[in-house]
Amino acid sequence: MMTPFGCGRARRAMPLRYYSALPAEDGEALDRHLASCPSCASDWEALRHALDAADPGTVFPMEAEVDWDHQARATVMRARTAAAAGAPSTASQPGPWRRPWTTLVPAAARWAVLAAAVLIAVLLVNGWPGRRAAGPDGVPSPSASAGLPSDESVRESAALIENRLARRGATRYLTDSRVLLLNLVQAPARCRKADGEFDITFEKEKSRELLRRKNLHEGNLDTLRDRRLADLVGQLESLLIQVASLGDCASARQIHDLREQIEKRQILLRIDLFTREMQEKTHVV
Amino acid sequence: MEQDDFALMDDVKHDREGAFEALVRRYQKRLYRLAFGYLRNHEDSLDAVQEAMVKIYLARGAYRPTAHPFTWAARILANHCIDLLRHRRSRPTESLDAPQGEGEDRAPRHLVSQDEPQQARQERRELGRVLKRAIFSLPANQREIFMLRHFGEMRLEEIASARGCALGTVKSSLHRAAAAIRDYLGACDPPIKYPAREGEAR
Repeated sequence: MMTPFGCGRARRAMPLRYYSALPAEDGEALDRHLASCPSCASDWEALRHALDAADPGTVFPMEAEVDWDHQARATVMRARTAAAAGAPSTASQPGPWRRPWTTLVPAAARWAVLAAAVLIAVLLVNGWPGRRAAGPDGVPSPSASAGLPSDESVRESAALIENRLARRGATRYLTDSRVLLLNLVQAPARCRKADGEFDITFEKEKSRELLRRKNLHEGNLDTLRDRRLADLVGQLESLLIQVASLGDCASARQIHDLREQIEKRQILLRIDLFTREMQEKTHVV
Repeated sequence: MEQDDFALMDDVKHDREGAFEALVRRYQKRLYRLAFGYLRNHEDSLDAVQEAMVKIYLARGAYRPTAHPFTWAARILANHCIDLLRHRRSRPTESLDAPQGEGEDRAPRHLVSQDEPQQARQERRELGRVLKRAIFSLPANQREIFMLRHFGEMRLEEIASARGCALGTVKSSLHRAAAAIRDYLGACDPPIKYPAREGEAR
């Protein structure tokens, strides 16, 4: 048989009862105690009132003012833009209330490690430059050197890999920039903070990221020795700087100016042509 | 009939039309309230929800149905909010404990009913303010669990799974949080007046 509840035990059991986490037997004992103790009954009422009042309508009055339909549409558009721009996923399996390790290592560092690993693997397969199988007197044996590629061919293959990586990097950079500009001029999200303006927080952030990437890969782009690419990247950089320096909400006029510049310089068309050409060359190589 | 959350998440994973939008609509309000528990600012919370939903969309392929989709989403949001708070601490622009903007506690325009007496409206607003203060005075762990239960509408088992802790821990935290809120409200002078509620308590 269940022992009757005293006032202290009843008070401790009340919150669990409220959240339906009290065993049925204890619940019955608590009910019996409340029926016989006006002081605990009054405490129970106070608890119920306090916790019942903790509802979203009372605690978050501003929630009712939000245009949730608009918020949902803007969220969906932002997500699709991020996916189209190839933004990395950083939240696949987050630990409980912790950050996933991938966010600790910048994307650029991960790419650099990958590129280095590919290069080392190729060099190991083809033979390390300058290293040759030697005969007993230290002179490279003719049979051994005949089976290994020459220094020149190793250098050539390294240059080819470098060139291919640079092309891929440039293509990705240009494609991402094109998606960003397209989204900015064709479907900007309405700003929640100011009527008639456009929320470009995401585009600003993306522009900054692209500028950082451009600085990081500048040496690689130079290896392509392509004047057209250098010109295009230069013009793109100036546009990205403009976007990055705007406020979180841009006026229709500012968006219009950007659109005019993009059209005037035919940036989108040039990126399109260039990336196709790059992709073809990468496949040929 | 509304689709089950797991089925909806499966549709999102397979890029079925309209699925992601349906998920956003279903979760955004609950996530907003959780974000508010961390950020204590209306606009920041809306932005955080949007950014967390973008992360969810990008990571949709990696979702495994071992956890409830909302539990998974709440974890992503919590991580995001914790990052924002770290960022704020490293570049402080305002105190985390500073009172909220003037407009935060005002009654929403279209909720101000002409039928509701002025006094009742003021009492309700005051109750909201006191409750918010009571909730934010809780230790971080208790506050998070309380917010997940009351505003994330999560069951105790789901909270335990989301936070990676034992069910008993959730129960004891909630117990302490509820008692602290009752005591906080009970100590208010003048005493808090609660609005009349229909039906039985949960």
